[in-house]
Amino acid sequence: MVEAGAALVARGLAKRYGRQVALDGLDLRVPNGTVYGFLGPNGAGKTTTMRILTGLVHPDAGSVELLGRPFGRGDRRALFDVGALIEAPSFYPFLSGRENLRALAASGALAPRGRVDEVLDLVSLRDRAGDRVSGYSMGMRQRLGIAAALLNDPKLLLLDEPANGLDPAGIVGMRETLRALAAQGRAVLVSSHILSEVEQLADVVGIIARGRLVREGPVAGLLATEGMLRFRVLPAEVPAAGAALERLLGPGTVHLDDIPSRDWLVARCDPSRAAECNRALASSGVYASRIEASATLESLFLEVTGSTADVRGGIA
Amino acid sequence: MRLFRSNLRRLARRPATLVTYLLLIGLILLIILAVAAASGQAADPQSALAARLILTFPAAWTVTLSMVLGIGGMLALTYGAAIAGSEWSWGTLKAAVARGEGRSWYTLMGIAGVTVMAWVGTLIAYAVGIVGAFAGAAAVHVASATVIDAQTAGDLAGQLARAGLGIAMDVAIGYAIATIARSQLAGIGAGIGLYFGEGILGIFVPQVIKWAPFAATSAMLGGGSTGLGGSAAAASSSRLDPDLAVAVVAVWLVLAVAVAALWTERAEISG
Repeated sequence: MVEAGAALVARGLAKRYGRQVALDGLDLRVPNGTVYGFLGPNGAGKTTTMRILTGLVHPDAGSVELLGRPFGRGDRRALFDVGALIEAPSFYPFLSGRENLRALAASGALAPRGRVDEVLDLVSLRDRAGDRVSGYSMGMRQRLGIAAALLNDPKLLLLDEPANGLDPAGIVGMRETLRALAAQGRAVLVSSHILSEVEQLADVVGIIARGRLVREGPVAGLLATEGMLRFRVLPAEVPAAGAALERLLGPGTVHLDDIPSRDWLVARCDPSRAAECNRALASSGVYASRIEASATLESLFLEVTGSTADVRGGIA
Repeated sequence: MRLFRSNLRRLARRPATLVTYLLLIGLILLIILAVAAASGQAADPQSALAARLILTFPAAWTVTLSMVLGIGGMLALTYGAAIAGSEWSWGTLKAAVARGEGRSWYTLMGIAGVTVMAWVGTLIAYAVGIVGAFAGAAAVHVASATVIDAQTAGDLAGQLARAGLGIAMDVAIGYAIATIARSQLAGIGAGIGLYFGEGILGIFVPQVIKWAPFAATSAMLGGGSTGLGGSAAAASSSRLDPDLAVAVVAVWLVLAVAVAALWTERAEISG
């Protein structure tokens, strides 16, 4: 059954590489006119999903609809209205940026005449379009990759880590371009590790872990319902504080955070309820020495993916 | 056809194309130079005559073509492997497939483009070889009764067409090997290994190896070969009838193209 109003629908996608499970029943729905932030830790299955959505690999199970049409083996024409940047941008190093786009335009969907220069303008690369790609910086290659994805004026854009290597001006430019595309009714799926960037860019986020979608929804809504407050109290007062908070917020909403020490309580609630919680603690005779709001996409990401901050760099 | 035209434009700009052309021309000229230099030094008159064949017209037309096909065949194979391998390692195949390009069509157009460029290189090398043979003959005073006779002229077009078929097969085999290996270096290495491996095996099992691609290519031109690897082996083994060899080469060509196309069609493209 084809779903109306959605540019992309994936149902029950499963993929294994040998004994390794890459996707385990992934469901995904990207509405038209939205920027969808696709988040997940390394190895969660984001790139495998992107590859399946562009026909580079085939799922072991599940189905995909692109722009209202079923997409499977042999349905390559469904990709004519899809633009994609999967993993690192791919170019012939001995050709210039413009020649690379022309070479790419010779495959797949017909690109309108003059479109190459249009997209070069869009990514601010026209001045260097005649230079060989082998001399491009990482950021320039990334911009050229985004230009390549926009070549056929796509209705659905799939971008894997598009901000990689971009300077701050490039990131702002990319954000404005993607927002403008969404405003025109196009759908944009962006996978990224830069959570603050996704928080600013995306209307909807989906968080994937171990090959399954573990959270999905509008950014503001998720942060409101999935926000957290952390309370530091005396270790001896932890049980009383926990009980007071659960009376206010509901059973199962409070747990002990034993990192870095066993005197932090974490309550899942809208961070705007901090004063209310503080009052409840005080009414129970417990005074918190610190209260921290934790309502960022990052904290949500770490919580739902079961990741922990790795002091050696990255997410474990 | 826009993909084919784009491939030709791209290949014309590619350094590997120029390097392959220069290598082929350089090797041909080097052989002619060596033959010219050694032509007066052979103790055995028969050997001296055979060595001078490349400088003696009208025989030089066929001998040079055979030599170009021998060396050019190996270079065409490595050229095909280099182009196919880079499509995987640079991710350009991935980008085209993600745009909705047909995998088999992309492969067919890739092989067609490389083949045309290999033909151009072969023709240039052949022309340079003929000019070199003229110059060599003049330098060492090899007398020729005539530059070209009616029979040689009549056969030349057919011989060139057969050489073109052989080059196309070499390209397709290189392309197919690199497609399976998904790597330029592995494709080139395996291609050269196959080329020389066929030559070595030809010494031990000539009746089997005469059906192999490079021996059949050499046999298509009829006379002796001054090529390398498989061509040399073929010269020392039983040869196929030239017309039968054309059919065998055509089969190898179709087989190699089909393997490359089917492999690309079924492959999971990652990385």
